[in-house]
Amino acid sequence: MRYVKLPKEKVCEFLERLKSMGTLYGPKKISEKFYDFREIGDVKEVEFEYNRTITPPRKFFFPERETVFTFDTANVEIHETLPTGNRIIIFGVHACDIVGLRIMDSRFIDDLPDPYYQIRRENGIIIGLSCLPDEYCFCSVRRTDFVDAGFDLFLHLLPDGYLVRVGTVTGHKLIENSPEYFEEISSEDKDNFAKFETKRRSMFTVQGNWDDMRYRLELHLDHPMYMRESDKCLGCGNCTLTCPTCRCYEVKDLPTLDGAGGERVRFWDSCQFRSHGLVAGGHNFRPTKKDRFLNRYQCKNAYCETTTTAYCVGCGRCTYFCPADIQFKENLLEVYGPGGGA
Amino acid sequence: MTLPDHEIIEECRDVCRATVGVYVLTSCYGCQLVMATVEKIMEVANLVDFKCFYMVSSKSSLHEPVDIAFVEGSVSTEKDLEELKEVRKNAKVVVAIGACAVNGGVQSWSEGDLNYDELYASVYGDSKIKYKGLQAAPIDSYVKVDYFLPGCPPEEDEIMYFLSTFLFGSYPEEIDYPVCAECRLEGNPCILIERDAPCLGPVTVAGCKARCPSFNVPCIGCRGPVPHDNSWFDSLALTFKNKGYSKDYIRERMKIFCSFDKNLEERLEKVFGRKK
Repeated sequence: MRYVKLPKEKVCEFLERLKSMGTLYGPKKISEKFYDFREIGDVKEVEFEYNRTITPPRKFFFPERETVFTFDTANVEIHETLPTGNRIIIFGVHACDIVGLRIMDSRFIDDLPDPYYQIRRENGIIIGLSCLPDEYCFCSVRRTDFVDAGFDLFLHLLPDGYLVRVGTVTGHKLIENSPEYFEEISSEDKDNFAKFETKRRSMFTVQGNWDDMRYRLELHLDHPMYMRESDKCLGCGNCTLTCPTCRCYEVKDLPTLDGAGGERVRFWDSCQFRSHGLVAGGHNFRPTKKDRFLNRYQCKNAYCETTTTAYCVGCGRCTYFCPADIQFKENLLEVYGPGGGA
Repeated sequence: MTLPDHEIIEECRDVCRATVGVYVLTSCYGCQLVMATVEKIMEVANLVDFKCFYMVSSKSSLHEPVDIAFVEGSVSTEKDLEELKEVRKNAKVVVAIGACAVNGGVQSWSEGDLNYDELYASVYGDSKIKYKGLQAAPIDSYVKVDYFLPGCPPEEDEIMYFLSTFLFGSYPEEIDYPVCAECRLEGNPCILIERDAPCLGPVTVAGCKARCPSFNVPCIGCRGPVPHDNSWFDSLALTFKNKGYSKDYIRERMKIFCSFDKNLEERLEKVFGRKK
């Protein structure tokens, strides 16, 4: 892997360079407490020290709502509406979210190739950014706090700039084509990088490894936590809609008024909604709020073969953005019992 | 378990014209106004035969058979009730449109607290009025309703979705998730979390694309409760209680548009204990 340094005074110029290559998105402060990935007009608006965005980066490749095809009932034809393949650059993606995207890839590219997702993904550039955890983060126990794949460049904070890890050929070319922004790294930079990593690792409120969480949960499906906590749940779906790895969607046909055609749209669904488990004939295989609540805990702790991690990457969004203040990490620890690392 | 029962009409295309009626009981006529001013109203008028639509034509009649009846307003007088029964008798598909027809509207706010005689006396005293009034109620308290199109007023895209699916020989899919979810999809920050706003987004049925929270205004619940008992007033009341809101404030706010929800009182009691 190649390493270079991006000095602090060159960061804005580098962002300008990225902006000139396509549509640049990055973390922005959208309200008093929240951040979100937004299109960057003025590069000075990019927020380098943000905790988490309210919407996950998967939205760039698997949008909240999209038309997948239009249909023509007179000629009995469908016309796919594939994305145009415009270049997008997503700057400032945290390690957990990069693993989240790799999990999305495993389902939308490796498993059942989805052209809508794939075209956008192939045209996306991912620039990672280091971060320090807050009390909601538990990426460490998910083994997603440091990534070795899934980014083109990854920026690690130094006192006077960033140590840049180059992850792909695209990332390499970005550096080759803009040598004026980069320097060779010094031994001081290496020390500072190591110091940052040590500090980062010491800050997590849970330590250890949750690779066996899935089995702990499966062995205690009747744990009283589920009833107690699902009782507080609003069923609003915020936990899944903000999750970087939730990928359930619903499709709906919208005919035109004259019936000559229409479009099929797909939009994000949530297992927390009643209709998610509703099938033809009126049967619902997750009829109660508790069933739906338990489903998410099981699904997020299942194992993704591609990343060899859980589907939950420990970003903390489902707790941070839960209006009912339901604590996912604490609830998991409760079921796990002693030894969970808290 | 009950099997879904979806009343549909024959697809017309070029061979026939669907007949449609838009009727009003007690309401502000706002739903009709939205229906009459949809961008594609001319296209709609060419495709269907309006037998009744007061806002559009004085040549409107309650008494003609129609394929689809859109009924706006709550049942608040005996005359409303007679008209509603006549509409139901003449229509293949009945759609309750707007907060009043779907959930009783603001005029049903006092349901369960004040009865008709008390309400009457507080407004009219001893005077007499032309019609015999009734406690304001949603139309499905009296007749079978096939579909519900909520909102105060309803959204144009939903009106068009309902019309186009009916004319296609299909039916509109029901929404069973809350405004809160749409608010996230709109990319808004959460005003309930961030500034403890008394937002009813988590218990209110979606479809408005979080219109009010998108303008930083907490949801007041005008679209009514999420259907199929999935309006978790208890969870939201507990959330509000933890933020310092009183029981009376929470109950009053939830009752504005949800006073007819059969779960409301029971779920509030779960959090605050039984009513004295």
